[in-house]
Amino acid sequence: MIAIVASALLALTSSFTLQVSAAQPRSAPRASDAGSFEQLAVAATQAREQNRDDAAIHMYRQALKLKPDWDEGLWYLGTLLYEKDDDREACEALRHFVALDSKAGYGWALLGMSEFQVREYPRALDHLQQSLVIGLGDNRKMAVKVYYLTAILLVRSEQFDDGMSLLFSLAASGDTTPPLVEPLGLAALRMPFLPAEIPADRREMVRMAGAAAVALKAQRYAEAERLFSELEAAYPDQPGVHFLIGAYSLGAHPDDGIKEMRREIEISPSHVPARIRLAEEYLKRQDMDRAFSFAQEALKLAPDDPLAHLVLGETLVAKGDIAGGILQLETARDHSPEAVRIRWDLVRAYTAAGRGQEASREKSEIERLSNQNAVH
Amino acid sequence: MLLVFPLVALLSVAASTAPSGPQKSFDTVVREAESARKTDRLTEAIGLYREAVRLHPSWNQGWWWLGNLFYEQDRFPEAQTSFAHFAAITPKPGPAWAFMGLCDYEMRDYAHSMDHFQRWVDGGFPGSSDLLDVASFHWALLLTRQGRFGKALYLLAGRAARKGESPVLVEAMGLASMRMTNLPEDYPPERREQVWLAGKAAFYASQHNFDRASEYSQRLLAEYGSLPNVHYFLGTLDKFHSRPAEAEKEFRRELEISPRHAAAMLELAQIDLDRGNSAEAESLARRAVQLEPMNPDTHHILGRALLDARHARESAQELESAERLAPEDAAIHFHLATAYRGLGRKQDAARENSAYIAIRKRDGTLVQATGEPEAQHSGKEQQ
Repeated sequence: MIAIVASALLALTSSFTLQVSAAQPRSAPRASDAGSFEQLAVAATQAREQNRDDAAIHMYRQALKLKPDWDEGLWYLGTLLYEKDDDREACEALRHFVALDSKAGYGWALLGMSEFQVREYPRALDHLQQSLVIGLGDNRKMAVKVYYLTAILLVRSEQFDDGMSLLFSLAASGDTTPPLVEPLGLAALRMPFLPAEIPADRREMVRMAGAAAVALKAQRYAEAERLFSELEAAYPDQPGVHFLIGAYSLGAHPDDGIKEMRREIEISPSHVPARIRLAEEYLKRQDMDRAFSFAQEALKLAPDDPLAHLVLGETLVAKGDIAGGILQLETARDHSPEAVRIRWDLVRAYTAAGRGQEASREKSEIERLSNQNAVH
Repeated sequence: MLLVFPLVALLSVAASTAPSGPQKSFDTVVREAESARKTDRLTEAIGLYREAVRLHPSWNQGWWWLGNLFYEQDRFPEAQTSFAHFAAITPKPGPAWAFMGLCDYEMRDYAHSMDHFQRWVDGGFPGSSDLLDVASFHWALLLTRQGRFGKALYLLAGRAARKGESPVLVEAMGLASMRMTNLPEDYPPERREQVWLAGKAAFYASQHNFDRASEYSQRLLAEYGSLPNVHYFLGTLDKFHSRPAEAEKEFRRELEISPRHAAAMLELAQIDLDRGNSAEAESLARRAVQLEPMNPDTHHILGRALLDARHARESAQELESAERLAPEDAAIHFHLATAYRGLGRKQDAARENSAYIAIRKRDGTLVQATGEPEAQHSGKEQQ
């Protein structure tokens, strides 16, 4: 899902501003409606258009008493309340609005944004994601805000990799209106906090990590390495630091990468991603025993982690235990059906096991997923 | 509420004596409403159920489904109103109390929320396992807000056993562990890390994964070891891990940081009781009572210390105070029964024993319904 919405964001143009009218609700007041309702609706519209917000809110509320399911009234009431920072009341109006029009991406977005303001974070994340799945039309300003809030809430709920993907998508879109360095630093260090929740004595550490992540993404490797050195020197015992440096080093200087990952496990004994990276590295080196050991440890610590199943499956296949490997890879696929890497592993494993029909099925799935990603 | 019943009765009679046309219309509306609900046409179903209860306001099933549909759409004020109608015309509203508690919570009416959850609890936690899960979680949040941290953690540990780890559960456990009378929505952002680390440690401890719990508790200690409640929490983890000597050190360290920490005093008093040192236990508990006279635990532990020292009369007085403050605490009834027996008050002892059994039985319903580990229950009275 993250990949889909990330590519959708990149496809957005930058040529517009907030245009509620582009996606207006259906039921404008009609002449045949009861006079008092129609009068109120018209008066509310006029008040809104004349920026008399308090009067507009009052009249929308009066009109909604007469016609509670008036979706246009609910939408404008919700937006006016949101703009006045009356987020709790905005939530109420917008919940009713999206109940009436569940395909209104902008409705879910504004609801999620209101819920973020009142710190109902789990609900806000659900609704912001819902808005991204449905789509936000051509409203770039709103899209950027929704992507940003979704990303920082993913990080807060310990979905670091998904959060980081969204943040990099935002950075790649060229819109840096919301500052991305701290959120990227939090995701890179796997700290489940919002930027406002960063402990004061580690804000600099988070900024350094974020800046290093930005430099890496921009392929400014010398700058990234300098920042990593400073980070390691200033915060040698903080959880997450050695994993971040190790994740980079495994590509550039694999022996150093292994040392960093091992150091991370000393500091954070239950660190699952460090074990997965080590298993992958040892697998690459054909050191099956070490790969198997780290993969097993990762799975023991995180039995529901698809990556742990994946790397154990790859290791078992590489060790010649095709049947055992397939079982792990199938579990990984069931946990994460859209991951193409798992499907390719299964194609190879099924083929090696002489299970051609299943290998073909996986190939079809890969094609379907590729087409789906291309569409989005 | 008084006005509702006559009106409902009147309308009900009107409906039942109406000509067959309107009656048929009601049946048709009900059929269509149920069809819409079962096929997930929720907005349409809401309109039809509204029409049905307008035609027949005493049709409690209509109010029930209307409440459920509104709740499903997060439309809490309307859900609350519907469940209130249902409760007003239904002899045993059962799960509706839980739904009303949840709606009140979402509308930030915490006093009514507690009241409705309590009615739900008194009724034996009726409802589906999903409702039980959500309602007991929110009840735990409110217990934390009231400062009833132990009870909250007990409920949250049950959820941990059933559902495993989740960010919301970790946060809730962290707040209760740090003895913060806050909800997840309203605690200071600068305390997020402390709450998260404590929540992780509490979660893994509840899973008896003490190595992993220790990883987080040591980080908590390293970052926040000089703040109140951290050493107390570490002491409770040690106690849960059956390491009384380490627990005692942590509780004493907490008292150095927070000299008026009544809960740490009570923990030390219980350690003294376990060692048969009732005089020291009594001294600590008396200090705790002075600091927190409205805390039932202070009177409870003092009552136990006095019971141990064979001062049954004074013990009974303290336990009666505890009982007044926490009538739902089974352990208090258990110890009060013991005190009464010591005083030869057999009838009072029997009454307290019955209360103890009734509460345990009711809590057992929760244990059975949620699949909570019985081990977390057992032995509480002996502590």
